[in-house]
Amino acid sequence: MYCLYIDTHFSNLVIAILRDGKVVEEKVIESAKHSQYTMNLIQEVMRDCNVVIDDIKEIIIINGPGSFTGVRIGVVIAKIMGYTKNIILKPISYLQAASLSYDEEILLGLADKNGVFAGKFNKEHMLVDDYFYVSNKDDNKLKITLVADKIDIAKVYAFLKDKPGVLPHNLKPLYIKKLEVQHD
Amino acid sequence: MDAYILAVESSCDETSMAIVKNGKEVIGQSIATQIDTHALYGGVVPEIASRMHTEAITFVLEDVLKKANMKIEDMDAIAVTYAPGLTGSLIVGIEAAKALAFIYNKPLIAVNHLIGHIFANNIEDKMEYPMLALIVSGGHTELLIMEDDFNFKKLGETLDDAIGECYDKVARVLDLKYPGGPNVEKLAKEGKPSYQLPQPVLDDTYNFSYSGLKSAIINLVHNEKQKGLEINKADLARSFQEVAVNELVRKVEKAFRETNIKRLVVAGGVSANGYLKEEMEKLCDKYQAKLLIPRLLYCTDNAAMIGAAAYPLYLKKQFSDYTLNASSSGDIC
Repeated sequence: MYCLYIDTHFSNLVIAILRDGKVVEEKVIESAKHSQYTMNLIQEVMRDCNVVIDDIKEIIIINGPGSFTGVRIGVVIAKIMGYTKNIILKPISYLQAASLSYDEEILLGLADKNGVFAGKFNKEHMLVDDYFYVSNKDDNKLKITLVADKIDIAKVYAFLKDKPGVLPHNLKPLYIKKLEVQHD
Repeated sequence: MDAYILAVESSCDETSMAIVKNGKEVIGQSIATQIDTHALYGGVVPEIASRMHTEAITFVLEDVLKKANMKIEDMDAIAVTYAPGLTGSLIVGIEAAKALAFIYNKPLIAVNHLIGHIFANNIEDKMEYPMLALIVSGGHTELLIMEDDFNFKKLGETLDDAIGECYDKVARVLDLKYPGGPNVEKLAKEGKPSYQLPQPVLDDTYNFSYSGLKSAIINLVHNEKQKGLEINKADLARSFQEVAVNELVRKVEKAFRETNIKRLVVAGGVSANGYLKEEMEKLCDKYQAKLLIPRLLYCTDNAAMIGAAAYPLYLKKQFSDYTLNASSSGDIC
C-alpha cells in the first residue's frame, strides 16, 4: 500500500513515498519556490519509485501552519488528487507531526519573520487547548521549543494509521494567524 | 476531431471551471463568486480570496463535471489562467490544473486572462482579423490591434489608473457598495451630466489616463462637503461616466480612422457596462464597423473564456510544464 507525503508548509519542500508504512523515497528541496517545484517533485518521486497515481491509496498532507501560499499549494494538490482518485486524505499539522519526536508534554513552535506559531501537545501527542500565534512584538514569557529536527515521516504514518481521513471538500489549511482585516 | 478543454480561472474573486468544445461551445460552466464576502470590506482582500478559492476548488470541479455530464478522462487538455491577477489566487487554480494534468496525463495550457477576455467574444460570435481590441477592466485599459489569434500590437494603454479602478473609486466616494462599477452605472441612469469634469488626456496618442479624473471627483466631493453643500450623486455619477467612456470612444474612433480596421471587440469586466456598449454601438454604426461585446455572463471573470482562448494554443501545441507560475502582471505584448 503506497502513501504519498506532501509538505509545502515552509521554505523546505518535502515529498516522500511510503510503502506499507516505510519510507521508500524522500526528497527535499531547500528554499524551494513551491509553486514551481511541487508538482514536478511529486512526479519525480513517483517515477523514481515506479508508482502511478492509481497505486496511491493515501496522502499525508502537512496542512500548516506556515506560509499561507505554501500550505495552499500542497493542500490544493492533495484535494484534487483525493477528489478525483478517491485517495484517503490525512492532514496533520507540522507541529503535531514534530511532537511525535517528544515523549513528554511540550509546547512546540514554528517561527516566521514576525512571530511564532505554537501549540501544546500532551504525552499522547494530542493538542492541548488551541494553536496560537505570538507576535515578536508581544512580551512573551512562554517557553516555546522551536522545531529544529526533520519530521520522522514513518512515525507520522504510524500515528495516523488508524485515524480516519478527511473528505477532499473539507480539507483545509491550518492558518492559525488571523488576517489584519479580521482583527476587531 | 473535436477537442474538449477543461479550463480553470481563479485570478481574482471568482473560482470558475468550464468545459469548452473546440474553443466555441460551452458544454458546462461553474462559477463560485466571493462578491458578498469582499463587499464587507469594500473591496477584494487578496488573502481572503486565496482562502476561498482553496475551499471552493473541488466543489467547482464537481459542479462543472456534473453540468457537462463528462469525465476528466474525456478532456484533451487542461487550461488555466496564469496571469495577470492576484498571485495567491492564481496559484490555487494553477496548482489544481497541474494536478489534473498530471493525474490524467493531459497537456497543460497557460492562458493570459486578458486574452481570455478577448476570446470571450469568440464563444457566441466569430472573431475575424485584423481587429481592434479594447480591454477595459479593473486593472487594464488598453487598445490593441490583433492580426490573428496570436499576434497583438499595442496602440495605447493607461498611463496610470485603469477605468474599472476609477469606477470603483468613484463608487467609494459616493458611498456606493462594492462592486462599485455596476452601482455607479445604475445611479448614472438617474442623473444629468451637470458637473464639469476634466477630460483625461488631450494629446494625440492612443494612451489613456484616469487618475486626473479620479482626483477631480475626490476633490469635488471633499470641497462640497467642506462647504456643507449636498452632492447630487446621480448627476456626478452620470458626469463621470460620460467623461470616462467618451475618452474610450474618442480613442477607438481615432483608431478606426487611422488604421482603417473596421472590427472592434470590447473585453474585460467594464464591457458589462451598458452605457459603454451603447456608445460603442453608435460609433460602430457611424464607421460601419463590426462590434463584438460578450453577453454579460462572459464579460465578467469566467472559465469559458479561458477555454476559448486555450483552443488556438491547443492546436498549436503550445503546452506548459509544471514549473508554470503565477504572475501578477501579464502584458499581452
